[in-house]
Amino acid sequence: MPKQSPVPTELDQPFYDACNEDRLVVQHCGPCNRFQFPPRMMCARCGNPGLTWRQVSGRGRIKSRVVVYDSPVSTLVPEQPFNVATIALDEEPDVIMLSHLPGVPVDQVPIGAAVEVIFETTPATGQKVPEWRLAGS
Amino acid sequence: MAHPIAPNSWHRNREGLGIWEGRGKVVATGVGTSPTARRWDERPETSLGALTIIAIRKAIEDAGISPDEIDGIVLTPESTTGVSNDPMSPAPEGFDQVFKMVDFPQAGITRGDIDWILLNMPELKNVEFKMNGPVCMSVALTTAAEAVSRGLTKTCLVVRGWHNLAGRYYVGQGAAALNTSSGPGKYGGIWGMPACATTAMIFEEYCNKYGKSHEMMAPFVVEERRNGLMNPDGFYTQHRPEMITVDDYLSGRWIAKPANIYDNDLPIQAALAVIFTTPELAAHHAQKPVYILNHAQTRPELQGVTPTLAEWEASSDKMGRMLYEGAGIGPEDLSFEQMYDGFTLFHQFHLEGLRFASRGEKRGYALDLYQTDISIEGPNPVSPSGGNSGNGRTRWWHHRDCILQLQGRSPSQIKRKAEYGVSGAHMPNFCDALIWGAGPD
Amino acid sequence: MAFLISFDIDGTLEFGDPPGGITVEMVRRAQELGFLIGSCSDRFPSAQKALWEARDIRVDFVAAKHMLPDIRSRFEAVKYLHIGDRELDQQLAEKAGFEFLWDHEGVAEPWLEWLESHGG
Repeated sequence: MPKQSPVPTELDQPFYDACNEDRLVVQHCGPCNRFQFPPRMMCARCGNPGLTWRQVSGRGRIKSRVVVYDSPVSTLVPEQPFNVATIALDEEPDVIMLSHLPGVPVDQVPIGAAVEVIFETTPATGQKVPEWRLAGS
Repeated sequence: MAHPIAPNSWHRNREGLGIWEGRGKVVATGVGTSPTARRWDERPETSLGALTIIAIRKAIEDAGISPDEIDGIVLTPESTTGVSNDPMSPAPEGFDQVFKMVDFPQAGITRGDIDWILLNMPELKNVEFKMNGPVCMSVALTTAAEAVSRGLTKTCLVVRGWHNLAGRYYVGQGAAALNTSSGPGKYGGIWGMPACATTAMIFEEYCNKYGKSHEMMAPFVVEERRNGLMNPDGFYTQHRPEMITVDDYLSGRWIAKPANIYDNDLPIQAALAVIFTTPELAAHHAQKPVYILNHAQTRPELQGVTPTLAEWEASSDKMGRMLYEGAGIGPEDLSFEQMYDGFTLFHQFHLEGLRFASRGEKRGYALDLYQTDISIEGPNPVSPSGGNSGNGRTRWWHHRDCILQLQGRSPSQIKRKAEYGVSGAHMPNFCDALIWGAGPD
Repeated sequence: MAFLISFDIDGTLEFGDPPGGITVEMVRRAQELGFLIGSCSDRFPSAQKALWEARDIRVDFVAAKHMLPDIRSRFEAVKYLHIGDRELDQQLAEKAGFEFLWDHEGVAEPWLEWLESHGG
């Protein structure tokens, strides 16, 4: 899928650098012992600014799904209809990421199925982003 | 000029606060609604600013008071959720011949602005209290309620206008047209989800959990359109008096399945002004006072790129508990509910958080309720205003109609006695809501 | 064999919101020349029907925009054309096996030439 290339900032550079090394890292708040994504300047719960980046396993489960028929993003319009699924990380299921679930036909997204991260190169800049595929596929 | 917003100490965002200190000390009286339009035609007299002035003048006239009596304004400056002009973009030719301009040219065009209003409404000469209620009319309403209850303003305008420029709302425009993505939208935006997709995702989770289906939404959408078409101020009544049928709804094109095009509200131009005051001063207003019995706020504690069903349920449950605690009433006291509906697929999260018309159920019952009589004639009126779905996107039809219902003059007046109502917006985990009463208790 | 033209409404027809360049007169002319005509729009099907009736035009079909494949299967024609103002119109039309014209291209009524090329 020809995704837009995300432009990293100082805040999320570690996340995108890790993606380019095929590693998935997520912000972690020590006092709350809680992960969060997207990256923020502080913990969304306690306000702690001292967040660290932790590598996670890259395993998760499909939480829900939609089929996009009318995307606002021009680069994806030719791909319609396409799946978008929410992925709950194994380490902390409240941390949600998105996926196009490459290889899974539209309307056939298996909710609850195990998935594993892969890294997809976006065309405009070559920046890699996390994607997900059915585990073992 | 930037104006302050309500300090956090004004928020009622946790349980255990008891009865609201302002309960029964703030009332709504006059209501003014501008004409509606699908898009701005670039004439000064149909601009957001012009519509706002119309709404304010109508509200003052409706209350039967003098503009001299207005001593406060709370306004929501944002006037779209779609693509907008840069604040410094020049105004169309001729705009400055009709209106006085402030220090940024988009005031009155794609931004609401208190100073612009005051400059162009010389009759408002006694306004001392000025505050912004960002993002949503519901924030402006709860801010104004606190301001009046704290004695900071005695007779306060609460205002929000909406603009809709020519072209598509945000599809293929601005950032969405680029092959790179910057800003916070990049974490989710590059997957290409339209605005309704987050709601659709959680609705899908809801349906899976409780065994419900998208088809079960049809009676709600049909009823909302019916109610909206009773409203002479609504967009559809004014421009497209078209009733939707169940078949129409079910044939709707998917935008992000399970959200179809008719689960999305239609962007329009419109403005609303409401007058808040004290019960004592309301004694000489022309309209019956409607009491604000409590207000409350929820804000997201997002851990992920989108919220989850669990978060929406927990947040809207908390909203229900906070509202009832501060108002001193319970769900059984509500005569109707008017929580936000734009997108239609999240209305039931609000409704269930309030336990509206619950027969002991906590969650997963709203779509079954939609299959019963939810009309204005029935025992459990759901969204009697018709909301955004029945009137066009404003995020305020439901607030407006709470006032009108409790004054007994709604164009879609419920048949049962209207004693208590509730309205709130916008998302189930990011919401300002109010309990309204026909009396102070 | 007939030719079939499907019109989007908003942004395409003169009575759309926003108005487009295709006039009721053009539609009427096409119908009088034997084209099968109708609309495939995001307006409710019942509302589309009412819009045509208000202009005293008896269309052969109305449908939601994504139902173009259904229209194609319901009507036998030499050519199928959809006219619209959005990329989505183009995408849905092409997927359904329709030729596509942008609203501004339709203003020249290029379908009239089909009659000549097919001996009509």
